[in-house]
Order: sequence, then structure tokens, then C-alpha cells
Amino acid sequence: MKLSITLLGFFCFFSANAQDDSTFNSQLDEVVVTATRSERKLSNVAVPTSIIQGKRIAQSGSLRLNDILGEQTGLFITESFGKGLQMQGLSADYTLILLNGEPLIGRMGGVIDLSRIAVGNIRKIEIVKGPSSSLYGSEALAGVINIITDQPAADRLSASIRYGRFNTLDASVNGSIKRGKFSASGFVNSNSSEGYTLLPGSVQKTVEPFWRFTNQFQAAYDFSDKTKLSASLRYNLEDITNSITVQNLGQNIVSAGSEVNKDLNFNPVLSHQISSRIKTQFRGYISRFQSVQQLDVKDAVVSYHDEFNQQFYRIENQTDLVFSDKFNMNVGGGYIHEGVSSNRYDSLSTQRSNNIGYAFVQTEWLPIERLSIIGGMRFDANQAYASVLSPKLALRYRITEKMSFTGSVGRGFKAPDFRQLYLNFTNVAAGSYSVFGSLVAQDEIKVLVANNQIDNLTPSFYKLADLSPETSTGINVGFHYNPVQSLSFKLNAFRNDIDNLILTDVIAFKKNGGQIFSYLNISRALTQGLEAEANWKKGSLDLTAGYQFLLTADKDVLDDINEGKVFTRDLETGISRRITRSEYAGLPNRSKHMANLRIFYEWKNTGWFATARAIWRSKWGTTDIDGNGVINREDEFAPGFVQLNLSAGKNLRNGLRLMAGVDNVFNYKDVVNLPGQPGYNWYLTVGYDFMNKHKH
Amino acid sequence: MKGIALVMFSVLLVTACSKDDNNNAVQPLNELRATDIIADTIIGFSATGQPFGSGKFTFFSLENNRVVPSSDSNSNKWDIGFRGTTIITNSGVSGPGNGGGFVQVGTFEDLKTIAADSVFRTDLSPSNLAIPAGSNRAWFVYNPLANLVTPIPGRVLVIRTALGKFAKVEILNYYKGGVTPLATASDDDKIRKQRYYTFRFMVQPDGSKKLSN
Repeated sequence: MKLSITLLGFFCFFSANAQDDSTFNSQLDEVVVTATRSERKLSNVAVPTSIIQGKRIAQSGSLRLNDILGEQTGLFITESFGKGLQMQGLSADYTLILLNGEPLIGRMGGVIDLSRIAVGNIRKIEIVKGPSSSLYGSEALAGVINIITDQPAADRLSASIRYGRFNTLDASVNGSIKRGKFSASGFVNSNSSEGYTLLPGSVQKTVEPFWRFTNQFQAAYDFSDKTKLSASLRYNLEDITNSITVQNLGQNIVSAGSEVNKDLNFNPVLSHQISSRIKTQFRGYISRFQSVQQLDVKDAVVSYHDEFNQQFYRIENQTDLVFSDKFNMNVGGGYIHEGVSSNRYDSLSTQRSNNIGYAFVQTEWLPIERLSIIGGMRFDANQAYASVLSPKLALRYRITEKMSFTGSVGRGFKAPDFRQLYLNFTNVAAGSYSVFGSLVAQDEIKVLVANNQIDNLTPSFYKLADLSPETSTGINVGFHYNPVQSLSFKLNAFRNDIDNLILTDVIAFKKNGGQIFSYLNISRALTQGLEAEANWKKGSLDLTAGYQFLLTADKDVLDDINEGKVFTRDLETGISRRITRSEYAGLPNRSKHMANLRIFYEWKNTGWFATARAIWRSKWGTTDIDGNGVINREDEFAPGFVQLNLSAGKNLRNGLRLMAGVDNVFNYKDVVNLPGQPGYNWYLTVGYDFMNKHKH
Repeated sequence: MKGIALVMFSVLLVTACSKDDNNNAVQPLNELRATDIIADTIIGFSATGQPFGSGKFTFFSLENNRVVPSSDSNSNKWDIGFRGTTIITNSGVSGPGNGGGFVQVGTFEDLKTIAADSVFRTDLSPSNLAIPAGSNRAWFVYNPLANLVTPIPGRVLVIRTALGKFAKVEILNYYKGGVTPLATASDDDKIRKQRYYTFRFMVQPDGSKKLSN
């Protein structure tokens, strides 16, 4: 143990990530690590899991993580606070995003902006749906996305450059080197665009010009077959031009500046095979995130500076024990120290922090050959909020060689974030409203009462309490059928019941009329649905069709509807009447139907490939217009749409790669509801592989 | 005041005599409808682009089902007044009457009798009215994105008239002809057509709190 830690420190700079040190045969049966935190064949996993291969990401012309995830069954990209991911009908806040098994930090408004993540060096993306807090702790309510980057292997060097609409320029260099026991790899990417305007003549661009710069380096040293050290270092910079025009009393107030987001991740890993039955892995992780918005207001002396700093430090051990062919176990534990400072919480010099100790255990038992049962649980003991126990039980039963059944039930949780605990924000411009975190609200109100600034306190003020984590219970029941080798069908029914949802509520009114908000565990919701996917792989063709049916609801609204407390108005007569259960569209921004069709074709021995990917979303609720608290009227929906993306390319024998594509061929735009959709988008890519020439 | 149309809706007569009908024959209550009651339409724009009206209320008598001239504002001849989205009752700072009111959640039809223990609010100050002013507080909600005012479904204004009779009112629409412009309509259209009230109401002339037949 002592030796291990010394080695860990010593080799920090020569390491690489080792989570994905599996050898796998993608043709026969892919290996996943995310579902069980250990290598498993995809066909043996008991929870809904899918894999996106790096090759498909490249052929799809994806640049950022949201590009490729938005084309997968049951997922779609939300557009508040950057590009977020909605999974099983749950908001972006509730999906854990891992990079080589380590959580990405820097959630703004609860969302990790997926466009911060370049995909040029991704070997595969694993998607696990359903609560996975029994293994991963907080945020894994809806599921887990694990981005697994290229591992250092043979000597490789490649570069590519792409140019597209809106002056979008994307350039990458990707390489790796292997010398005996030592290997290393590096990836550098620059991505920029001049942005676009959806409303001609508007003062401000819909998407402002930006530049993103990603560096990622990995190194590994194999002491022996049994002992391996690796580390990865990633630095990400994002610089977004800001030019904001606010109308105040008929005058335009122009401010200009930038928003700069920085990500730093460092992840050393030491793994050791103690015996044929015991393997242990020590992991360290340091991540820092900074977001700074600096605006110079025209004709104003003081500039606007908004800063948010987050740090996340973690050490962890996981040990995998194989007792017999029929019984194995993973045990682990770790310690997290996380902190934030922001001028939105008191001042930049006040560091808010939280410490979390956790332990988890998972066992897999195969009582008979056809059946595997996986049970696991994790305990997170937190300093800043209540502790959480997250159990999970899953099983897989092979009905025949071609058919299998999976079922799982688990608990997920999301810890209150620092914003919900410590925010101290007053917007003087927009009606002088304030938002106070739950841990500071009472003290702040006391001060305001003493200063005679409070008009009245609402009943919610008296409900202010220590926030509890938001929790969910998720059930997934699946059926898999492979009638022939080339054809597979997957069906999964899911239901998530979420309790203790944290929402803002008015706790007091100021004498000047301004409202004061704080955070309370006040809401309950449910999402349920059915996901189906069919895949046909025959020779050069890979065709996938996917569909998700989704129903969501705020449970308190359901109770109100059942009690006859929710009304609607007949649009013709204008007469009010009670709403029925079937008229309630559920949570906003959820489409009842989503479907996709993805075709990949590779011409044998020529290096040519072509892809067509179509995505359909049915109408979704946007806002409650008539004040009845629910979305039900036809004018409260955004229209559904189809998006078709095409790409084609050729890999030449001399190492040259050429590719062209058009996303959103039908040029679908919805200025109001889809500001992140600029319409059609063409691009051309040229790449060159310096060492590994293409084999056809 | 031209363009005001008062439409009377025929109401099914209750054929059977009610059993608690003790003394004189009870007149069946009529559900009445007022359309396009102008409530201080917009006459111009300020230097900063804010629309404004003349600032005057339109006064309405529920008991007589008609608009009352503003010269009678300091009298018991009117029961409720409209100016933009603000609704006043003939009480407190608004008028000399014995009026008042409150907002009840439910349908117009379901409000058969005003609960005995219900408390009628009065207009204590322009910012503290019996029918609270402002979006999402009483009868309407304003959507700043669509720039539209929509009456909230299931809100009944329970009104005490200037003379102390009881009435119920449901606001049906805020736009000319009782048709809300589409969200995609021009701002000009939305501004020109707003501040025209359509509402239905029922008054109990016998002084009781019974508001159904």
C-alpha cells in the first residue's frame, strides 16, 4: 500500500488511463466497463447499455459530444445552459458524465455543456440507462455516459482539418507512441466559429463567436503483466465572445466582453493483479473548473465580473475479487473533497466546501448457467447534506440462445449542489429579486428583516430546512432477441419515480415588491416509457432504427387533476372546465415520441463510406400560456420535426482521408424553440494518417 | 362607447318548482354575457416605447347589465370597473358603494352558493385591491414572450355589488371580439386589440348568496 502510493506520486507525469485496458473484439461481442465498473461482455450485462464506437463518431462527422449523443435512441439535447442531455425523460442535471470513469465537473445551472467535450480522440462512448448511484454516487439518476478515449497503443500520428458553414474551423492532431513498457498519447483540438444570427437585424447574435481548445495527454507504464500505472491530463479552454444589449427605459445599454471557461482534469491510476482472483486499482482525480464572465459596460466606470471556481479532488480504490466461476465481487471506497468559490456566493475569497466519504460493494452470482444476479449498494456520507444509501438489484436470464430477459431496480440520487446551498444573488436590474441558497437564506432574511426591508414572509419560508438529496427509484425491464447473427432487437420499459425534487419557491416579499426565492425539496415527478431498437448488420451495411415512447408528470399536478383543481378553457366558447388526465402533457420539453434511423455503409476494398441519420421528435410542451399551471393547449407546444444528416468520405491508401457532409439537410429552423439549431450546416474534412496507412 | 354589444344569453328555465320555495315565486337567475367592454384602450406610446391609455376606468353595473358613464363614478350606480388588466370594485378607495369581492378557484357552474364564511375583500389602496392586480395573482396571466394576456381558467370573481347584492363573474377574453390574437401576430395587432373584456356573470337580486337556479 505504502509502495503503491509512492509509485503513484512518482509516475504521475508518465501515466495514462487504465479503465479501458481491456482487449476486445468489436465484431463478436463488445466489452463494457460502465455497467458494472468491471469488464463485461455487452451480452452479459443486466442493465440497459449501449456503445457508440469511435469509428461511427468519425463517420458521422461529429465534433462535439452533443453532436453524436443527439443521434442516439432515447436521448436528446436540451438547450438551456449549454447543450445538456435528456435521458429517460430526466433533465440534464440527472445524468452523470464520466471521462474515462471520472466525473466531469463544471455544471452551470445544473448542466454540463456537452459542447465543451471534443470527440476527436474518443474510442467509444458507453451509455448506461437507469439509476447507477449504487456504483457512482451522486448525479447517476437517469444514467451514466462514459467517454473512453483512445488508449496509447502502437505508433500513430494523424491530423485533420475541417471547414464548414459559419466559418467553423476545427483542427486536430492525434498521436501515440509505444516503446516497450512505456506508451503515451496526445490529442490537441482547436474548434472555432463566428456564430450565427437567427433573427436578421437583431442587435445580438443568437450564438456568439467562440473558440475552444482541448489538450489531452495520456501515458502508461507497464511494470509487469500484473502492474500498470497510467495517467491522463486534460486541459480545455473555451472563449465565447459576449456582446449583450439590454433595453432599459428605452435606451440600449451595450456591454461587450467574453465568457471564458476552463477545465483541468488529472487522473493517475495504478492497477495491480494481486493474484488470478484479485485485482486492485488505485485512482486519483483532480479536476478544476473556472468560468469567468467579464463585461465592459459602455460608458460605465465599473465593469461586470462574474466568476465561478470549482474544485473536485478524489482518491479511490476498487478491488475485484473472483471467488469462483459463479461468484465474484467488487468492493471499493473513496474520499472526495470538493469546493467552490464565486462572487454569486458571498465573495470570491469565501471557499465553500464539502467532504464525502463513500464505500460500495457489488456482487455477481450465477446460480445456474442461464441466470446472473447482480446486487450492489453504495453509501455516501456527506458533510453538507444528509447521507445516502443507494442499493441496486439486477438480473439477466437467458431464455434461449437467442433470447434473454433483463430486469433491474435501483435507487439514484443527486446531491444538492453548491448553488442550491449557498447562492446569494440579487438582481437589481430585473425587479430586484433575490435568490438565496437554503443554508444561507434564513440568515440573509434576518438581516433584511432587521433593516426593515421585508414586507412579508410566505408559508414556504417556514418550510426552509436542510436540503436532502433528490432521490429516485428506477425500474428497467428489458428483452433482447437475436433471431440471426446479423439481426438484433432490444426492448426496454422504464419507470423512474423521483422524490424530493429541489425547486425554487418564493419565501418572502421585499417592501419594494421584489421577490426572494430559495430552494426547497418540494416536488415529485415520474417518467416512464418504452424504448425499442433494431439493428441489422450485413456485410457493408449497418442499419439501426430506434424509438422511444415517453410519458412524464409532476405528481403533485396529477394529484391536483384528480382532485379537480386544474382547469382549462374551451378555446371556442371561452368557458372554463376541469382538465382530464389525458389532456395533461407532463413535464415541459419532453416529446412523447422520438425515433431515429441510422444507416452506415462501407464499400469493401475502396475506402468509401456513406452515412444517413434521420432523427424525429414529436411535438413537445414549452410553456404554460394560460396560467393553469400545466401544458395542455395546442399553442403551448413546439412543433415536432425531422432532421436528416448526411456524410460521405474516402480513406485513401496513402493515408489521406477526405470527407464531406451536410447536417440538417431540410434546413429545419425554429427560432423560438430551437435557438441552437442554425439550419443546414455543410462541412469538408481533410485528414492524413502519417504512420498507419489505411487497409481496405 | 360605440361598439359595445351586450348580449343576453337565454338560460334554460328550471321547470320544476324548487322545494324550498317558501314565499314569493323566485325569478330564475339569468346568465348574462358582456362583450367588448372597452377598458382604457391604448392611445399612444411613451418616449421609451411603453403603450399607455387615458388612465380612466370603464364602470359597469352588473345589476343593470350596462356601462355606467364616468360622470357617475362617485355613485352606487356601478359595481365593477376596468382599466387595462386592473379590475376595481365599488368599495374602499375606489368608490362610495358597499362593494367588494374575492377570487375563487373553480368553475362558474360549480359556484352555486357563496360559502357563508367567505370574506369579501375591499379596495384598500390602488396596490391592494379586492381583486389583486398583476399577472398570475387573480384572473389573468401575462406571457412576456408572446406578449399576450390570458384569463386563467377556473377563476371566478365573486363580487358584492355597490348595493350589497351578490354576483359571480368569469372573465372570458381580453381582446376585441373575444378572440385572442395568435402568438405569432404582430405586436401592433396585439396592442390594438387588447383591453376589450368579454365576461359572463350572474347576479342574485334577492340579496342571498345563492348563485344558481
